[in-house]
Amino acid sequence: MLALDRVGKTYPNGVHALERFSADIRPGEIVAIIGGSGCGKSTLLRAVAGLDRASTGTVTLDGAVITAPHAKIGIIFQEPRLLPWLSVADNIGFGLSELPAGARREKVARALARVGLADKAKAWPRELSGGQAQRVAIARALVPQPEVLLLDEPFSALDAFTRRDLQDHLLDLWNDTRPTLILVTHDVDEAVVLADRVLVMRPRPGRLFEEIKINLARPRDRNSPLFDNFKRRVLTALDRSLDRNVPDADAKSTAGEAMWW
Amino acid sequence: MTMSVELPALERTDAMTPPASSARLRRYARPALGLLLPVGLAVIWEIWVALGYSNGRLVPPPTRIFATVMELAKSGELSRHITATVTRVAAGFGLGVAAGTILGAISGYWGLARQLLDPTVQALRAIPSIAWVPLFILWLGIFETSKIALIAVGVFFPVYLGVMGAILSVDRKIVEVGRTFRLSGPAMIRRILLPAVLPAYVVALRVGLGLGWMFVVAAEFMGASEGLGYLLIDGQQLGKPAQIVAAIVIFAILGKTTDWLIEIATAPLLRWQDAFGRQGVR
Repeated sequence: MLALDRVGKTYPNGVHALERFSADIRPGEIVAIIGGSGCGKSTLLRAVAGLDRASTGTVTLDGAVITAPHAKIGIIFQEPRLLPWLSVADNIGFGLSELPAGARREKVARALARVGLADKAKAWPRELSGGQAQRVAIARALVPQPEVLLLDEPFSALDAFTRRDLQDHLLDLWNDTRPTLILVTHDVDEAVVLADRVLVMRPRPGRLFEEIKINLARPRDRNSPLFDNFKRRVLTALDRSLDRNVPDADAKSTAGEAMWW
Repeated sequence: MTMSVELPALERTDAMTPPASSARLRRYARPALGLLLPVGLAVIWEIWVALGYSNGRLVPPPTRIFATVMELAKSGELSRHITATVTRVAAGFGLGVAAGTILGAISGYWGLARQLLDPTVQALRAIPSIAWVPLFILWLGIFETSKIALIAVGVFFPVYLGVMGAILSVDRKIVEVGRTFRLSGPAMIRRILLPAVLPAYVVALRVGLGLGWMFVVAAEFMGASEGLGYLLIDGQQLGKPAQIVAAIVIFAILGKTTDWLIEIATAPLLRWQDAFGRQGVR
């Protein structure tokens, strides 16, 4: 289990990015973190990845405190960040250097086939489209079989169509080994289609605002009324987290006051 | 669904590959075009002198330069001079590259070393390298050592700057990928930093080599008894412009050839580069 206990981060320049964030995340759970800009989403993710140390609080995975990148925690960034001097296959095998060459080749071949890029094994990263490159990045992160996979706005640079495609593909891949997924996103649709639980954060300083469970069976129909309902709940929570007035049933008190006047 | 998403990208790569026949034509036509201007000028000058419009004494026509080269070659003089010069450049280039690479890497990698070392190196760089000549002669004597030292100084600075700059400009995001895969220090250098730095390093080597050829002339001006630079001075003192031009032409050929050798040797390592020049112009 991944446990975040009162994680806080103040940067050396005094920016208070994150305050006392606590959450327990079950193995195999998919959690989406959503919030306005500056709410500390990426800071939180980097602390879980062990790339940046938290100023206060701890992140523990199965009882071990995370202070540096961990073998069981993988990360996918907003950009694919492929190494341009390695072929697609070598990029995917980058994290497997401890394996003997034969085993590595086999794993890479399987991963390539799994993300549908078997014909691109020898291609250079520059020859890939944005969606293909991000699929290679996903394969590279998944091939060492992490227990936790962190995704920092992984599809935000892609067009809407490719994004949907990759969301479905990610769920499909997740189903193979069921790692814990923690997904930072701006996209309400993405959060609702992927997550078991959506954590809405509020900015300055970043902290947890509201938690919304998405009790929808997978695969989820993006056009169903239930799906819409969950989307509206997340949107409402987001609006309230930014102290906006919400013309919605959830915000009856403000609307009522206005009418009373 | 997946396939239809990727189709536009596939079409694009197809469109970028030119048809084979026009590609072959361009491959041969490009060097030919580059030769047009110098060869044309040489032919015109040759005819000009042959027709008697000029005696060609100060600017010898191509045939006379060629005759001089052949004469030097036949007597064995030419190979002696070329060997002397190439040996000096090779030694100076080797020393300069070694020192520039090591110090540049140290300065690029460790902030403290950069703060200690870089200001001094930058200050030394501001000195015109030829200004070292008298000192080098006093310190190292008039013979080979001082010449090689001067060439090494010329090669050192571009290599040092290139290596340091390249290391400093390695993309933090790529380094972070190395960190998430928990690479050790040496593995990070071997698997991330070296390949990332390589393109800039090759450029630095080529600039360094160019300066090496420049400085060998300066070095050979200061009292050499052999070498292409000596041929230049000798030609000036004895009034033999054909010999001077012959030496210049040989310098040009040697410089271009060695530069091309670096390019050829490193090309397989840089195939991955997404360079503008690799798709359109070349």
